[in-house]
Amino acid sequence: MILSDLLGSPVVTAEGERLGVVVDARFALDGPPDGLLAAARLHGLVVSPHAHESFAGYERRDVDAPALIARFLRWRARGSVLVLWPDLASFSDDVIRLRPGATLYSPRFDSSES
Amino acid sequence: MTQKRHLPPAPAVAGRVLDAGLDLLDRQILDPDAVPVSTVDDLELTTPDDLEHLDPDSPPIIESLLTGPILLTRIFGGRLPDSRFIRIPWKVVADPGTVVRVGVAADSLDASWTERWMRDHVIARIPGGRHDPE
Repeated sequence: MILSDLLGSPVVTAEGERLGVVVDARFALDGPPDGLLAAARLHGLVVSPHAHESFAGYERRDVDAPALIARFLRWRARGSVLVLWPDLASFSDDVIRLRPGATLYSPRFDSSES
Repeated sequence: MTQKRHLPPAPAVAGRVLDAGLDLLDRQILDPDAVPVSTVDDLELTTPDDLEHLDPDSPPIIESLLTGPILLTRIFGGRLPDSRFIRIPWKVVADPGTVVRVGVAADSLDASWTERWMRDHVIARIPGGRHDPE
C-alpha cells in the first residue's frame, strides 16, 4: 500500500454519514528502532469536509502570515478533523469507514487550540 | 458534521509526529555529504492483513520513501506501477527535517543511478570532465 492510496479517499462514519476526504496522514515515530530512527507508524488521518487537499497546513499550525492567504486557506480547510488509526474500521472500495463511536480530534499540532 | 465545533486535542504520543504531506512529501533527500539523492514522491506502507476489518493494534508502518516519474500521474491521476518506483528504505532515513537526510552515501542508493550514469558515461567523456576546475 502506498500513501497515495489513502490520500483523497472518502471517509464515512459508521452510520454512513460522509465526513470528508483524507488530505494527509499523521505518523508517530514511537515504534521500535528501525534503522537510524524509530519505526513510523500511522497515527491517524487528517480529513477535510471541503478541500480535497491541504496546502501548507495553515489549519494545523500557528502560522498566520501572509494574513490574507492564511485566512483563505484556513477557511478552505474549515471543519478538518483528525481520526486515529484505532477508530478506522475498514478500507475497502477506496472508502474508509469509521468504527461506531469514533472520536474526532483537532488536527492542530498545537494542542492548546482546536 | 461540518458545523463549527470544539474538538479535543489529539492524544500526545511519545515520539516525534510527522504529517506526511507537510513534512515528507516533495522534500529533497540529501546524503551525509549533502549530495542530492532525489525527492520524496510517495511513501510505501505495510499493508494491513485484512482491509475489511482493520486491526486497531497493527497500524501501517512506513517501509520506504518512494521516488519515481510521477509527474504525469499527478497531472492526469492514476497510479504508477509499483515497478516504476525506486525505494529508499526507512531504515536509512536519519533526519526528516527541512530536507530528508539519509545516513548512507547517495552512490549506494538506486535512486541516484541516473546521476551516476550521466557522470560515468557523459560527463567523464567531456575533456576536463574528470577533475575539478583549476
